[in-house]
Amino acid sequence: MAELLEIKNLSVSFDTPQGELQAVRDVSFSLHAGEVLALVGESGCGKSVLCKSIMKLLHGNARITGGSILVDGVDITNYRQRDMERLRGRLFSMVFQDPMATLNPTISIGEQIAEAVRVHHPKMEREAVYQRVMELMKLVGITEPEQRYRQYPYHFSGGMRQRSVMAIALASNPKILLADEPTTSLDVTIQAQILDLLRDIQQKLGTATIFVSHDLGVVARIADRVAVMYAGKIVEIGTAEEIFYDPRHPYTWALMRSLPAFAREGEELYTIPGMPPTMIDLPPGDAFASRNEYALAIDYEEMPPMFQISDTHYAATWLLDERAPKITPPMGGDFHG
Amino acid sequence: MDDLILEVQHLTHQFRLTKNLVIKAVDDLSFQIRRGEIFGLVGESGSGKSTVARCIMNIYQPSSGRIFYNGINVCDPKEFRKHKKILQTSRQLIFQDSASSLNGRMQVADIIGEPMEIHHIKPPRGSLRAEAEFQLHSVGLDKSYLNKYPTELSGGMRQRVAIARALSMEPELLVADEPIASLDVSIQAQIINLFKHLQAEHDFSILFIAHDLSVVKYLCDRVGVMYRGKLVEVAQTKELFSSPKHPYTKTLLSAIPVPDPRRERTRVLQEFDPALFEWDGKLVEISPDHLVWKGGNQ
Amino acid sequence: MNRKNPYVYYGKKILIFLLSVLLLSVVIFYVARLAPGDPLVSYYGDRVEKMSMAEREWAEENLGLNDPIHVQYLRWLQNALKGNFGISFKYKTDVLEVIGGRLVNTLILGGIGFVLIFVLALGLGILCAWHEEKWLDKLICKVGTIISCIPEFWLSLILILIFAIYLRWLPSSSAYSIGKAKDISDRILHLILPMTIVVGSHLWYYAYMIRNKLLEEVRAEYVLLAKSKGLDKKSILFRHCLRNIIPSYLSIMAISVPHILGGTYIIETVFSYPGIGTLSYESARYQDYNLLMLLCILSGAVVILCNIIAQTINEHIDPRMRENESIETTEVTEIG
Repeated sequence: MAELLEIKNLSVSFDTPQGELQAVRDVSFSLHAGEVLALVGESGCGKSVLCKSIMKLLHGNARITGGSILVDGVDITNYRQRDMERLRGRLFSMVFQDPMATLNPTISIGEQIAEAVRVHHPKMEREAVYQRVMELMKLVGITEPEQRYRQYPYHFSGGMRQRSVMAIALASNPKILLADEPTTSLDVTIQAQILDLLRDIQQKLGTATIFVSHDLGVVARIADRVAVMYAGKIVEIGTAEEIFYDPRHPYTWALMRSLPAFAREGEELYTIPGMPPTMIDLPPGDAFASRNEYALAIDYEEMPPMFQISDTHYAATWLLDERAPKITPPMGGDFHG
Repeated sequence: MDDLILEVQHLTHQFRLTKNLVIKAVDDLSFQIRRGEIFGLVGESGSGKSTVARCIMNIYQPSSGRIFYNGINVCDPKEFRKHKKILQTSRQLIFQDSASSLNGRMQVADIIGEPMEIHHIKPPRGSLRAEAEFQLHSVGLDKSYLNKYPTELSGGMRQRVAIARALSMEPELLVADEPIASLDVSIQAQIINLFKHLQAEHDFSILFIAHDLSVVKYLCDRVGVMYRGKLVEVAQTKELFSSPKHPYTKTLLSAIPVPDPRRERTRVLQEFDPALFEWDGKLVEISPDHLVWKGGNQ
Repeated sequence: MNRKNPYVYYGKKILIFLLSVLLLSVVIFYVARLAPGDPLVSYYGDRVEKMSMAEREWAEENLGLNDPIHVQYLRWLQNALKGNFGISFKYKTDVLEVIGGRLVNTLILGGIGFVLIFVLALGLGILCAWHEEKWLDKLICKVGTIISCIPEFWLSLILILIFAIYLRWLPSSSAYSIGKAKDISDRILHLILPMTIVVGSHLWYYAYMIRNKLLEEVRAEYVLLAKSKGLDKKSILFRHCLRNIIPSYLSIMAISVPHILGGTYIIETVFSYPGIGTLSYESARYQDYNLLMLLCILSGAVVILCNIIAQTINEHIDPRMRENESIETTEVTEIG
């Protein structure tokens, strides 16, 4: 498979009055054409920042402090906003968490989609644009597109709004779709519909997708591969099967064990001790060490490298070093919930 | 009837949006909460869950219906005034968004002590501060948090403070309106454990409103499912999750994502057609403790 | 609702306007007569002091001042509806005539000033937002803050001192040189100083408002989506952000018409510019009832009219306010 997107040792920082906030630290991964890669982690782990930094949508006080972003082999790390404008929409586009906030309340849905169509085809005829909007609305499952065209975001339900946002994102046939918690604000039933739609479109158009979520259940439904993030780093990455059935990083274990779905009846839910670190002045070594019941002495001193488990499965924990004591993972195997 | 702490009878609440548009947020709803149980209320947004909570807490005056709390009809203004102190102390509400429900200009110690001050309750442990410290301890925070402001705390900690404040009144009924919806997975687990612990320790009843069904499945004893202001199914948690009867409940359960890729990829979402929902009908007990909405007049 | 029947919609607005003006006239009429002072002074001048009681009574009867206030009001209203607003006690002519010429002067100063403020504020605001936190933005904001802190009458005096007295480039007062009422270039010359003050003292506030509103919009999440579909900065700022702030800007500007007019009244006095401002001041001082009445109603009507216009603008631009009844098609997700 061709590498559509390659992130190499990317670091992103925010300048804050308290000091440099390292939101993304030394992250590397690649995205193949036509796959869904999920980024999982808790709030503040940098998953959203990572997405926005790929598209350079971050505000002024954020900067890329190291590493590179390659698209189709072209390094876009130092692209300026004007260069990015040409890529956005066509190469990659993004879907956000809150569809009400991401749609302009004073422009009709149809116009907002049409605008997205015209961005990269400024000379397109009026009628052709309209036809394309109709096509897009049908693609994302908006019924009665002719009537819906003239309606405004506040006429739409949450699910319909998110469908409209997807139509906008797909308007110029992007190769990569970045979806930042697209179903978090929706009801379970609507969430399931949107996930199915995403999956459907992704298979129909072959759009590679980066799917950001905190919900492992949602990730299980949609992802081909999963990257688990903690404190700005990817701590484990592998296929969905590898992550869910054979997780290797203690943080992945902890995340799964704290889900009610995995709890046995009458048993307490597992909780991760302590708090996530503030991303300013991080301690040396593994950021998760102080909350990790399997932490080794070296975890407090040296950052673990990515250990390879299989061709596709990597995890950053010293437990995988050959000198580490052998422990039985608390998670793994099939789901018994 | 003595084992019931709360009995809601034919509760209806309407919102008037414009001159000729009225929305029935809650429509002829009846259910009971037993002493010492955790009752879960689930449904999608807009189904009227929060409105029920607010009617129970006397924040909204229901359009019709009655709500008995320990035998007191709280919807009757006369009875409410008569039992005001008991009603306002022994029922406590916890909100979803603790960032906005806690006063940002008050320190944690004052936030927890305030209800006692308002109701002129003598703190059992000497001073308000000692009481605040005790309650903080019981929700798993130490006394170093006493002088902090809500903005200095994380979402999980704020929710703990909100719970501590509720606990200080030694409530018999805790109404928790989506208390964990805005928290991270690992923090959610902590708060769920906390609810379970505290409930076992103090033996109060909880009305737990949530949209996350896996949490409800884990935490609650009985569950009610709401659909557009109506209660369509009420049953013991195990029964509801193993043999749901109403089509809407089935849809809702089929939509819960499970953290298991193989199962998830093959899972089929059960569609629920709102057009098929019969608005005229009533809850029918189909087996002990299992009520299902039956349409029509059969 | 309003789309279906524009007659009812606008009819309602006009009715509200007329009722408000009527109510205003009652209030002004009563308040003016309750204020201390002797209206006869403005008519007869110093002679009043030498009048006997009988003469006084005769004079009051002659001017219709001895009746109860409500009778006086009804009489005034009757005449006013016929277009007769009475005579000015001081100028002894029809008040409409007195106001006529002056109104044009004020409209020239206030009207052109308003348009300039409106356009320049928009331009400056956009300029600042575009160059957010860069030197140009900072400079404009700082200069604006300083200038708007200076009281306008003081600034007027300084400008008169510099341009009229030391440099002798511009005239210091009046609307035109004597005998040159029809000379446009002479009028423009006279307008420059007062206009500069009118514009300079109000401009910054609105420019700063535009800047902040724009920057607030730029931070909104829909801008992220607009960016991610590939729109450039210009389209985002003009087609999305500006579009969303224009309704509130228009309504604020409509409400600010009286504010700006009020400012011109003071400036007129400082520059002895023969406009409505100086006239109102005189009429209030000399209890020139009929004149005062008409002036107050005129100004009040402008205020009310502007507010109604602001509301109408809002209802027309924001689709959410345009159609009240469409709530039905919305799924009410907030309740629950």
